[in-house]
Amino acid sequence: MEKSQLTSTQRTLKVLQLLLILVPFTLPLWVQNEYYVHSILGRIFIYTILVVSLDLVVGYIGDISIGHAGLFAVGAYTMGILNSTAAVNAGSTMHLFLEWPFLPSLIVAVIVTGFFGFLLGFPSLRTSGPYLAVTTIAYGLIIYTFINEQEGLTNGTKGIQMAPLKFGGIGFNDNKFIWVVYPFLLLVMYLKTNLSKSFWGRAFEAIKFSNIAAESSGISKVRFKLTAFVMSACIAGLAGALFTHLDSNIAPNTFSMDFSVLALMALIFGGVRSTFGNIVGMALVVILPDLFTWFKDYRLMVFGILLLLTLFFLPNGLAGLFKKYFPKLFEKQHPIFTAEDTAPAQFITDQSVAEEFPLSLDKVEMRFGGLVAVNKLDLKIKPGTIHGLMGPNGSGKSTTVNVITGLYSQTTGDVFAFGKSIGKMKPFQRAQMGIARTFQNLQLFADLTVLENVQVGLHKHYKSSFLAVLLGLPSVAIEERQKQVEAYRLLEFVGLAHLANEQAKNLAYGQSRRLEIARAMALKPKLILLDEPAAGLTTSEIQEFNGIILKIKSAGIAVLLIEHHMDMMMEISDEITVLDFGKKIAEGRPADVQRNPEVVKAYLGSEGVLDA
Amino acid sequence: MTEVLQLIISGAIQGMIYALIAFGYNLTFSTSKTINFSLGQIVMLGGVVGYILYIDMQSGHLSGMPFIAPLVAVLIVGVLAGALIHKTAVEPSLKFKSEYTWILATLAVGIIIKNGVEQLWSTGDYKMISPLGDDVIRFGGIGVYAQEILIVIVSLGIVCGVEMFKRRTIYGKAIQAVSEDKATASLMGIPEKLVITISFMMSASIAAIAGLLVAPLTFVSASMGTVLGIKAYSVSIIGGLESGFGPLVGGLILGISETLTARYISTGYKEMPGFIFLIVVILFKPNGLFGKKIIKKV
Repeated sequence: MEKSQLTSTQRTLKVLQLLLILVPFTLPLWVQNEYYVHSILGRIFIYTILVVSLDLVVGYIGDISIGHAGLFAVGAYTMGILNSTAAVNAGSTMHLFLEWPFLPSLIVAVIVTGFFGFLLGFPSLRTSGPYLAVTTIAYGLIIYTFINEQEGLTNGTKGIQMAPLKFGGIGFNDNKFIWVVYPFLLLVMYLKTNLSKSFWGRAFEAIKFSNIAAESSGISKVRFKLTAFVMSACIAGLAGALFTHLDSNIAPNTFSMDFSVLALMALIFGGVRSTFGNIVGMALVVILPDLFTWFKDYRLMVFGILLLLTLFFLPNGLAGLFKKYFPKLFEKQHPIFTAEDTAPAQFITDQSVAEEFPLSLDKVEMRFGGLVAVNKLDLKIKPGTIHGLMGPNGSGKSTTVNVITGLYSQTTGDVFAFGKSIGKMKPFQRAQMGIARTFQNLQLFADLTVLENVQVGLHKHYKSSFLAVLLGLPSVAIEERQKQVEAYRLLEFVGLAHLANEQAKNLAYGQSRRLEIARAMALKPKLILLDEPAAGLTTSEIQEFNGIILKIKSAGIAVLLIEHHMDMMMEISDEITVLDFGKKIAEGRPADVQRNPEVVKAYLGSEGVLDA
Repeated sequence: MTEVLQLIISGAIQGMIYALIAFGYNLTFSTSKTINFSLGQIVMLGGVVGYILYIDMQSGHLSGMPFIAPLVAVLIVGVLAGALIHKTAVEPSLKFKSEYTWILATLAVGIIIKNGVEQLWSTGDYKMISPLGDDVIRFGGIGVYAQEILIVIVSLGIVCGVEMFKRRTIYGKAIQAVSEDKATASLMGIPEKLVITISFMMSASIAAIAGLLVAPLTFVSASMGTVLGIKAYSVSIIGGLESGFGPLVGGLILGISETLTARYISTGYKEMPGFIFLIVVILFKPNGLFGKKIIKKV
């Protein structure tokens, strides 16, 4: 694979960008005005760190948080309590002064806030949208109440005074404060960019778009959501801790729900998932009221109207607007593949399990209230075969697939895969064991490219550690390139290689069906469940699909094929099970099943049997 | 014992207000699957508009208008606000697939209303006079204001009335049909858009009435609706957004926990049990105490 080459204009832009990034470092050297540098720019930097933190939850995970002011407060108050001194808080109700130095306090503040984020993450596992929004509000209000009421710790409504910030005898409360804050902003931006470009970022995107498809690709929703919340909280805590030294005091009023909303507004104005957007959005929110004095009283009204306009007319915020007019500046670098990358995809099959049944269902029953969707079903799939599962609409086929993949847990009975009971495992664990699936109603990650969709399927084969990903180590980039080639080969396998860098939502229907298969195969499964892969396809497309499925079989992978198309089923299945009203009514070789009177009755009605 | 009983009664009355507003949240959720996050500000509008008409701001005495005038005005404000919010914030949001568009859009409308009232009217706190007077009515050792009895009657009346309307009349059945399945309802000839708009109008006028009812017990101010709105929303979630009478139970739990905490622990912490309870409910019964379990189809 070739590394994409930069054009000379792009190189000039890179240099300019780098210079621009360095400018703030020089400000304390040549600007005397403390108001604009220390107060305004310092505030923008700190608040932007908070916006980055919010972006992780809102932009990447897709959950809404109206409680980030609470996390910001935890960071600020941890810093305040650890770092402040008795001398500057004379006459307060506080009776605990640890007087720790700045850096250890900062680290502890980040860790403590991370723990609060961990707690906030749990509700997000159970719910989302409007339910989660109010939970985050409540969480923020609980923290707000505590810092107001715990006067012994926080000095109540009057707040905590901070001693001047000094390193080696030099004060950093003037414009030099930028030197303290700005590196942290850059660090946070760097970490976030690395994370979002990696398989972690894709996992977030996958969870946001479809929990179910993500789990079926072996991505643990619990692990990734909690990590996102902890990360987000750590960053919010960092922002809070730095904030204590901005005005040298903190009081509960700052951390009300309004502040959470303001941060959200900044995020939306700027545009989610954009470093550039995060800064611009917050800069706007801080600077606008400052530019126009008349504006101060009406600022919330104006922000409210701006928010509405942004939501409806600029769904990607100002960053989206810039991307539209200056596409060159933001061009996403797509991988380029050359002839040497094309090689047939290799599917490794583990011979050690070849003796075991890849899948066996033992008297599985699935009930929804009074409805028995699957009734005492026994099913065994032999290694290396294509097993067809058919039945009229509503006969329980898809429910069976959902029980096998763990989206539903069976009411009674058990499911075994490769000889092990998997009936109690989570969907992602089953996927990691090597059970892949496609979806009847396509569940592609619409905003990701075709190649990235397959890369999500490759998720469990990534080996880089979280830390390596965050730091953007070279090994991570190497692994990413390897996986891109692997994904590309899978696309060749299903005949989509020429569309690798297209967004999945732009695919035609039949192409989407192929991509579903490529993504499932990326898991390197030992068993693949195809849930109506040919639904809505033309006859010639079905022929091509048969070819693909037979190739999968020849790689030694067991296939459970759920289909309506009789011809397809008869042509490629080794064995067929027929369901009707959740019960198995026939099983055996295709030709035998076809003649079975029960089957004919189920499909054509009992009169059909009489006529035959 | 009397004291505990008194606290429980006061808490229950407070809870009725939460339940009434929560009922407003549920109404729009059932038809449009969206929550109007600005409902708390509509509550405030109800209180403020009622105050402006009923009380003379200079002197703080009655303005001389009969109570029916503010009542009608508040209802009109509610209907208009509901229609406006639906038109400007909710309907345009539904074109986007992400949930946060309508959450943020309604939140934005709430911010605009609040800041608008602050700037156009006042940022102060004002005392509203109850049309029923300030006398305490005693039942044994337990005292309640006439206004509080009114709150209970009106709240129960509205909740039962609307539920009856939904269950018994053909128009109510139309609302239920839309809440079950928009597309099918539309195919059956139900004007689903109109039904949703009407549900927003009903929801907002209920909230505005709640604001007028609660005003004599609290102070009237531009910020009176924020916390009230959040608490009522918690009540909604605790009872279950899809449940008709769930908010009543949720309201009682929250109201009573508040008065008891305020008396026996600390006023500062009175809202804590409710919020903690909300988080616990979300963790263990995400669809609320009386919500239906939704089975996801794949």
